[in-house]
Amino acid sequence: MDGNYIALFVTLVIWVGIFLFLNSLDKRVKKLEKHQ
Amino acid sequence: MWWKVILFVGLAAVIVFSFITPAPQQVIGEASRIFYYHIPMAWIAVLAFAMAMVYSVRYLRSKKFIEDIRARSAAALGLLFSILATISGSIFAKISWGSFWNWDPRETSIFILLLIYGAYFALRGAVAVEEKRASLSAVYAVFAFVTVPFLVFVVPRMAPSLHPNDSVIDADLQFTMGASVRIIFFSSLALFTVMYLWIFNLTCRVGALYRKIIEEEDI
Repeated sequence: MDGNYIALFVTLVIWVGIFLFLNSLDKRVKKLEKHQ
Repeated sequence: MWWKVILFVGLAAVIVFSFITPAPQQVIGEASRIFYYHIPMAWIAVLAFAMAMVYSVRYLRSKKFIEDIRARSAAALGLLFSILATISGSIFAKISWGSFWNWDPRETSIFILLLIYGAYFALRGAVAVEEKRASLSAVYAVFAFVTVPFLVFVVPRMAPSLHPNDSVIDADLQFTMGASVRIIFFSSLALFTVMYLWIFNLTCRVGALYRKIIEEEDI
């Protein structure tokens, strides 16, 4: 069961990382689209 | 934006519940939790390849480069999610069957699918003229998709396989999951699809911007 909590924590960290990356990329693309 | 909040909180909740609730299949045990991630990845791969085919047809009809960018983005994401499904499946195989790769019918068919879509990008890389590259790869993507239903749904069921074929529905088209497992699984499927559509939208926009910059530099 302890292994489950470690896997849960690692998966959550990966998801937060993916979400933050996509969100910042979205903002950067929006900025570039405005400049074009 | 509201849908981003739903996506973030929803997928975080799916992750939490996928680990704190009892394993979806008691016979397989803890390894069956991969089911909440592996099946949505495989579903997105099929969806992305279907979208690549649709946008390829649209390119062939309209000859608009934005359709080619969309087809390429969908094929790239389809390939990425196929690789992720293969990796997650291999981890499951190691735990359940003792080996990462067994040349099981399911593994062999996904391997062929990876080669087919890998060849799509080899073809794109081999043609320098933009119009020719877009037309050739669009025709290829249409024919490549014809193989997808066979390789994903038919071939793995034609021969005895170690891969579970009744994870979602059985031969009588009845759900094999309990109510709580069904809620987590279908939430995962829906939220993975939203995430895929977001990544697809981003890759198309980046592709369109890149093309615009290249065109401006040429002028």
